[in-house]
Amino acid sequence: MPRGRRAATIGGVIVTAESLTKRYGGRSVVDGLTFAARPGRVTGFLGPNGSGKTTTLRMLLGLVRPDAGVAGFDGRPYERLARPTTRVGALLEDASFHPGRSGRNHLRVLAAAGRHPECRVDELLARVGLTEAAGRRVKGYSLGMRQRLAIAAALLGDPDALVLDEPANGLDPPGIRWMRDLLRAEAARGRAVLVSSHLLAEMAQMADDLIVIADGRLRASGPIEELLRGADGPVTRVRSADDGRLVALLRDRGVDVRANGGGVLHAHGVAPELVGQIAAEHRVALAELGAVSRSLEDAFLELTGGAA
Amino acid sequence: MSALLRAEVIKLRTTRTFVALAAVTVATSLLLAGLVSLLSKSTKESVITDVFTTDTTGLFILVLGIVGIAGEWRHRTIAGSLLAEPRRRRFLAAKTLAYAVAGMALSLVVSVSVALLGSAILAARDLPLPDLGDLIVQIGHNALAAALLGAWGVVLGALVRNQVVAIVGVLLASFVIEPLLLGLAPEIARFGPFVALPTAAQDVRAADIGFENVTFAAPAIAALLMLAWIGAAFAAGAALLRRRDLV
Repeated sequence: MPRGRRAATIGGVIVTAESLTKRYGGRSVVDGLTFAARPGRVTGFLGPNGSGKTTTLRMLLGLVRPDAGVAGFDGRPYERLARPTTRVGALLEDASFHPGRSGRNHLRVLAAAGRHPECRVDELLARVGLTEAAGRRVKGYSLGMRQRLAIAAALLGDPDALVLDEPANGLDPPGIRWMRDLLRAEAARGRAVLVSSHLLAEMAQMADDLIVIADGRLRASGPIEELLRGADGPVTRVRSADDGRLVALLRDRGVDVRANGGGVLHAHGVAPELVGQIAAEHRVALAELGAVSRSLEDAFLELTGGAA
Repeated sequence: MSALLRAEVIKLRTTRTFVALAAVTVATSLLLAGLVSLLSKSTKESVITDVFTTDTTGLFILVLGIVGIAGEWRHRTIAGSLLAEPRRRRFLAAKTLAYAVAGMALSLVVSVSVALLGSAILAARDLPLPDLGDLIVQIGHNALAAALLGAWGVVLGALVRNQVVAIVGVLLASFVIEPLLLGLAPEIARFGPFVALPTAAQDVRAADIGFENVTFAAPAIAALLMLAWIGAAFAAGAALLRRRDLV
């Protein structure tokens, strides 16, 4: 089936989880999780340690059986996909290899099992920068090289979706940048990219959408700008020569204004344009006006209740 | 299934364990065949059993089969394997079949080498040589037994999962428990899957391995019974594999 037609039949959503639940020993590790990762977007999957991210991704990939709910791709569970590695490329957090097998042979095994042409092996080795090390046994690889090999394995089938658990683990800064560019490029080609990471700054640069979980439950999901804006909407930082008058004018318009120390006011729920317009209408001189940008770290801590 | 078989064969061929064990198999088989050919005074009737059943592939492919599946857990490569083939029973079937094929192929190489070496030594000593037809049939029986043991190793590894426990258990069963049972309860032990049935499938009589009061099944019957053991263990191993979460 042509790629375009297949994408058209899925209503723009390719990776889905609905009411996904997993319990171990009576404790819910994942609890009624529902989300979607769309094609052409990098979706960041965030949560504190032990929040159920890895279990969720493993349920998506058919490695862990959910106690309730469904997860899948094009509405189909992973194990029911025909030639799954052409539909979904996966990288697991503890990507493991037989230590005595070379990087090339590792990919040859996966290429054979997935019925991918063997020429893809050398193509991918070159793409992840492992051509020279391809014949060496994996036990001599650094953590970063293993991670690159795992990324090559995920891309072997040129899949429609990528599910990556902590892909930046072990990568040095140039490696992280390379991985970010790669994932952005894959999303630009129409792939759905679902990626978990604990590197919030990295995620802020890479993700279009975010899914935030804590204690196995969904805390927030949506475009990253919306999540950074927070529940109260935008916050405007403003300083003026006549704070008292400006506060009164804004409050008259129903704006929640709070002093933030040092003569700085924070106007909650309004964009800087509106604050500037009100000040101009009443000829209040402004010394400073701008949007307060909330960092992803702030948003994450707020959404997850400060859990680290 | 052919793609999975091919993947399993690549896995098998691309580790040093296989190369080392295959080399040991060839070396021990040739050593045994050479010593027996040099030291025994085989007759026309006994020469096949004396010299041309010294193929040790069975033991090594049994261990390799265990390592092949238990090693997936040990090295945590099982998740990657099941991402490539999420239908777990099919994955296990491919591995089982791959080790059966590998056992057969290795046994053919070993048996032909043994045949060449043994025949050369026997001819040099002016001792009787077997008929070519009988020799070919014996090579076929050796390969059949090795194929069954390769598959048996994989399904046992799927059941036990811990590589060391599985190998120690199999060695105990093969060299202590089942031989003891063959002496104590031969009517039961003649259906044992570690010694009796593989030996019978190789068309070797119980008396030839030191159990005078036991009668082994005919090779075809033994092979069928062995397949039943493999089938039962496969069903249990596949059920365990299907239920298991890969956390």
